[in-house]
Amino acid sequence: MTAPRPTAERAAVVVTGMSVTTAFGRGTDRLRQALAAGQPAFTEVTRFDVGRRRAKRAAHLPGAPVLLDELGDVLTQAIGQSGLDAAAVARTPLLCARHSDPSWPRERQEDGHAAATGSALAARAGLRDAPRTYTNACVAASTALADAAALIASGREERVAVAAGYLVDEDVFALFDAGRALADDGALRSFSAGRRGLLLGDGMAAVILESATAAERRGAEPLARLLGWGRAGDAHHVCQPHPEGLGMARALAAALARADRAPEEVDYLNAHGTGTPYNDSAEAAAVHLAFGAHAPKLPVSSTKSLTGHTLEASGLVEFAVSVLVLQEGLLPVNAGYTGQDPACRLDLVTQAPRRLQPSTVVSLNAAFGGANTALVLGAA
Amino acid sequence: MTARAQVWERASWPGPDGDAAAGPRKLPGFVVSSFSPLVAEVADRVLRGHYGDPSAAAGQGARTAVVLVSRLGDVATDRAVAAAVDAGRPVQPLLFFQSVPNSVLGHVTTQWQLHGPVVCFSPAGDPEEAALDYADLLFADDEADRALLVLVELASGQGAHGTATALLVGPGDRAAEGVHP
Repeated sequence: MTAPRPTAERAAVVVTGMSVTTAFGRGTDRLRQALAAGQPAFTEVTRFDVGRRRAKRAAHLPGAPVLLDELGDVLTQAIGQSGLDAAAVARTPLLCARHSDPSWPRERQEDGHAAATGSALAARAGLRDAPRTYTNACVAASTALADAAALIASGREERVAVAAGYLVDEDVFALFDAGRALADDGALRSFSAGRRGLLLGDGMAAVILESATAAERRGAEPLARLLGWGRAGDAHHVCQPHPEGLGMARALAAALARADRAPEEVDYLNAHGTGTPYNDSAEAAAVHLAFGAHAPKLPVSSTKSLTGHTLEASGLVEFAVSVLVLQEGLLPVNAGYTGQDPACRLDLVTQAPRRLQPSTVVSLNAAFGGANTALVLGAA
Repeated sequence: MTARAQVWERASWPGPDGDAAAGPRKLPGFVVSSFSPLVAEVADRVLRGHYGDPSAAAGQGARTAVVLVSRLGDVATDRAVAAAVDAGRPVQPLLFFQSVPNSVLGHVTTQWQLHGPVVCFSPAGDPEEAALDYADLLFADDEADRALLVLVELASGQGAHGTATALLVGPGDRAAEGVHP
């Protein structure tokens, strides 16, 4: 596979606004505090009845939050932080990502589809339009981020808003429970011996990506830089990753090439780490393939072990985590770890967050159908 | 900016031979909904139309993106899950993976060894225009050098299956020079 051209030949991309809501609470500061504390957000599910399910826990907000309202809030906050005026916002497109809504199959509304969410959200925030709402599961938001960066790097757009959300719901809980994907021991133990699957989590996030030149021109302070992005398909199976992590490794290599970074220049990897046996061993193999001799020294954690798996939003929630890692100099813990799985030999951040001032971090995601994405972020 | 993506091959379901009533071929492991079988059917038709069979395409899919565009998505699977949940019945385990639209793309990419980006989205505007615009972006970003675009919408009526179209496209500038295979 031919590596993409380094971003150096094209417009550089920076993050100028960001907001995120998880089960830890609303707003980026709540996530920042939770990453420092390192305690998972999982509780007994109270949003709906789980009496008939094998698994009983998830990471969700109290009450009955409404996705469009939550997304509207994080988007408004991200735009506010970016300092864009209304005219600039009106020229900015939105790329959105979400899971199907449980009301759609029950109520059959005219606007009961994913694109309607993007369009409604763009209208609510005063953005220009929302041409695509991504639905490709666990790589939906990371795909939107890569496309937003591509639009800016190619000069097609000066800035792009990206928003993604998922709220834990009964249909998905039932589906994942039936598929024996949920951890029935109540913990998401990424890369650990004895891991028993994933747990779902609420996640809503929004970012403003912008060309570095445009941000500088208007005096905006970047939060981080998006240096590289890469995508690759496994071409291996309907719902299992390639056991040697070939697709994930190709996505990592492409993202690093575009970022013009050598593997040894990466200081931290925010892993997909779903806590399922298949994913985590394949991902560990991919890390070794892509990072070679640097792999045993590369600190890794999956923050799904704290926030739960936020599905279509996970790429953006974990992008926000990666920005916070660059800002705070604190690598989040890979929670729930009980011991080494020989198939997952990595330098995992266990026990407690690790102090390190990184300059380059990578966020990796994967999904059914063999879809893989990697994003390389640099300090502002 | 590259020129508009060039369409090398196109296939649709139902086809000209009136196969609408019978429905698309069954796809092992996929139940309840015609969504994934329709995707697999038109993808297979367009790739066979261009390459012949999968062995003839070997080695050509390293940078082929696969893009599934559907405004409504797999509403039949969503309804089956909702009905089971509301009735207090167990959900069929097979629905777990087929509820994710990219799963069927795993079938297509495995059969044809397509290793590029795997993307699904719901477009705000015309699906084919959105798909071609998206292919342009992938080509401009050097993420792919060809793309399989699949457009699918299920029919709303009982017993009806829906429609699907697949396009194999390449970058406009290269196709104009006659470089495509």
